[in-house]
Amino acid sequence: MELLILPFVFGILSFIIPSSWSRTFGLIGAASSLMVALFHLSGFEPQTVRTIFDPNRTFPLGLSFKMGFDALGLVMILLTNGIVLLVLLSNWNREIAKNKLFTALVFLMQFGLLGVFTAQDGILFYIFWEFTLLPIFLILYWFGAKDNNPTLFKFFIYTLVGSLAMLAAFITLGSFSSSYSYEDLRQVSLPAGYACWIMSGFLLAFAIKIPLFPFHTWQPATYSSAPMAGTMLLSALMLKMALFGMIKWMLPLTAEGLECMRWPVIILGSIGIVYGALIAIKQNDIKKIFAYASISHLGLIAAGIMLYTTSAMQGAMIQIINHSLISVGLFLAADILENRTGTRKINELGGIAKLAPHYGFWFAVIVFAGLSVPFTAGFIGEFILIKEMFSFHMIIGIVAATTLVLGAVYMLRAYQVSMFGAPKLTEFQDLKWNETFVFVALTILILVIGLSSNCIIDFLEPSLSNYQVTLK
Amino acid sequence: MDALIVIFITGLISLFVGMLKKPYLTLGIIASGLVLSFCLQMNYGNYTSIFSKYDNLYFNITQLYFSEMAIGFTLLLVLGGFQYFKQDIEHTSDYLSLLLFSLCGAICLIGFTDLFMFFLGLEILSIPIYVMVGIKKQDVLSAEASLKYFFTGSFATAILLFGIALLYGATASFNLATIQEVIQSGSYSEPMLLIALLFIMAAFLFKVGAVPFHFWGPDVYQGAPDIVMAFMATVVKLAAVFAFLKLYAGTFQFLSEFWTGALNIAIILSLFLGYLSALRQTSFKRMLAYSSISNTGFALFALLTTSPSSAGSLWVFLIAYGCATIALVTISMIIHNVDDKIAAFKGIGYKNPFIGFVMIMSLLSLSGIPPLSGFFGKFLLLSNAINDHLYLVILALVSSAIGAFLYLRMIVLSLAKDPGNEVEKYPISILQYIVLGVCTVGLLGGWLIIIL
Repeated sequence: MELLILPFVFGILSFIIPSSWSRTFGLIGAASSLMVALFHLSGFEPQTVRTIFDPNRTFPLGLSFKMGFDALGLVMILLTNGIVLLVLLSNWNREIAKNKLFTALVFLMQFGLLGVFTAQDGILFYIFWEFTLLPIFLILYWFGAKDNNPTLFKFFIYTLVGSLAMLAAFITLGSFSSSYSYEDLRQVSLPAGYACWIMSGFLLAFAIKIPLFPFHTWQPATYSSAPMAGTMLLSALMLKMALFGMIKWMLPLTAEGLECMRWPVIILGSIGIVYGALIAIKQNDIKKIFAYASISHLGLIAAGIMLYTTSAMQGAMIQIINHSLISVGLFLAADILENRTGTRKINELGGIAKLAPHYGFWFAVIVFAGLSVPFTAGFIGEFILIKEMFSFHMIIGIVAATTLVLGAVYMLRAYQVSMFGAPKLTEFQDLKWNETFVFVALTILILVIGLSSNCIIDFLEPSLSNYQVTLK
Repeated sequence: MDALIVIFITGLISLFVGMLKKPYLTLGIIASGLVLSFCLQMNYGNYTSIFSKYDNLYFNITQLYFSEMAIGFTLLLVLGGFQYFKQDIEHTSDYLSLLLFSLCGAICLIGFTDLFMFFLGLEILSIPIYVMVGIKKQDVLSAEASLKYFFTGSFATAILLFGIALLYGATASFNLATIQEVIQSGSYSEPMLLIALLFIMAAFLFKVGAVPFHFWGPDVYQGAPDIVMAFMATVVKLAAVFAFLKLYAGTFQFLSEFWTGALNIAIILSLFLGYLSALRQTSFKRMLAYSSISNTGFALFALLTTSPSSAGSLWVFLIAYGCATIALVTISMIIHNVDDKIAAFKGIGYKNPFIGFVMIMSLLSLSGIPPLSGFFGKFLLLSNAINDHLYLVILALVSSAIGAFLYLRMIVLSLAKDPGNEVEKYPISILQYIVLGVCTVGLLGGWLIIIL
């Protein structure tokens, strides 16, 4: 339980403390949450589910409010706490970090995310899912670009509509079950007509959040108007909620509906892979390039999850972790550009690698990690996913494999145009200590995961195969 | 029953105390009377009423919960609106005691067991409101509202009486239990009973302000003083909806095949017409009036199922709705929103962070964002109804997205930075702090689920 209470208490305290302490306070809070999560990791048996809260009674209408996590949940918790620490660290010498509201909102966001990853009750999952919308909305509203109201409304209404569809799905599902606890919902065997509809309710929520191809229109505008921390939290953590929801909630609970929804999602994912990449190639705004790149990457992951084989889900998990790390790195690099030069248009930049060699080097490392070169985590993840796609259907496999080529085009183009060529600037301040630290930490993590992905795959194997039990 | 008498006597005393022209004394008497009656209703298990023999009013646990909610809301409104009533020192106690008399009617309407008491309660509830709507004597809108409410209200009452008469003709009884037995046994004259049901339903839809009998709502809400508007939106509505629930989901439940169709249409129309009209409003009170139409649509979901938990769900929903409305109206009074413009809320979050916080909480609760009470209320109501009325539930969720857009606009407005005005805090009296604090507790909904 301390996993959740800690960020919440830090979030509330951040409102009270003086502003000058807020960034130190933020780091201490994030670091201690990470320590608690690591403490949970030691001695964790991957086969078990660790319950952290159980009121031992059923409330009206079958609410049980149980919380707990298995290996998958623990990995997501570690990811959340680690990313929050990195987000706070990369904002260390920005104006925003000195604002105590910002620190408080990040902690509340962390609280909501941890709730999503530990909920063992359908309605509790929904409650936390919706709760995360509030802090991120306020971060985008207060610290984002001026006059971004229409963008934010679009973002809020899109996600809210998706969530309501998920609520309808949960209520319908709950009407077949004695309570909303995860175990009871797993027992439900749905009538044929219902499963497909319930699954599409879930899918609408997840497709908007991921975002899958036709539901993505909120994303690029929101990313480019958001402050760096908001973009990082959105792309590194909030989108992962949806993928996590697909693996843990949607597929095991409504596996009967898989047959009718599998092809649509895989096709939409494949369209997203190509579409996102092609648009990213033509973009000039570096944040938009990475936003569309994110659509492309996540389309692959979502399509992979819908294959519903153990190894595809393992690949998806590796890729989820990898994408979180890379997107923190990429958006940090993009924000450094904007922060130092005042523009995000890559054709107005050039020759920065000469002016700031350290920045040039670490940016290149992250870009190569984003290209999934061997030894990085992305290589393993994309390799497994594409292999599974091929064995599912050859055409789909070929479409999915284009991500490697197209990814190289937009990533290298963004890097080359902005960093090489004739210098258009006279000076460019090189990395500060905190930025270097974030880049180094990300690189180490990406390499470690890339070289020892078997550990993670083995660690996740029991819980991932547990999610597959219902499908015969 | 005792609570009813305490409230009535408190109202009488405060009428006489009013001659002293000491508003705080009146306030003290009324507040203590309400607190006393609240405690009397609370003390159910081991306390025998002196009037327990009177069987036209019956309070079991559900009725007690609802009447406590009515008493609590009235107390909050008296405290929150005291500053407004105090301005007219001649009539302070008249206004406050009228509110109490209306509350008596609400409690009769919650506890009735026969149609005499029902009609009596409805009239005791309504007549003080006709007066209260018109207390701004110089104001044209207020006079219009009072007249309009009186005429349409009387008309609805006439229709109701017609329905009751037909019901008596069909079943030969005023007693709810007897009527239910007659309906169950099938020994009634059919067309007369069915017409009676429709007439009574029309009158009810008028009283709760649901489409297609909603036209009086926005005009009357706009014309009435803020606090009277809040009383109509909370106490009157909760009593009427509960009586509606009791008659239709209880007494007439064996005819539900006949009346659910009509009710479904009223619900769908209310859900969408309310929010869609509210989107275009610039007047704060008209906006609240239209959004209250939609919220009524949600509340009427409780009637669609006969399961015993539907009253509890309705209770949670009405607490959430009532607390949010009272908080918003109190805030509107704090900022002296005499022009009644939504734009007056601009930048409140910067001027008074506390007000901004309560306002955002109430708007989020109205839009049904967890973990606030509004979410739990809607969730309980909808999940009760989902087995039989799946399409209605989906429509309700769609309309709730429209509502979320409506409330989100107000949230963003209250957070907006307004560099033109210098930052000047609005003074908040201690009573208003209490009201806003209590409403905030009511809006944090987790505890409601646990005591349910």
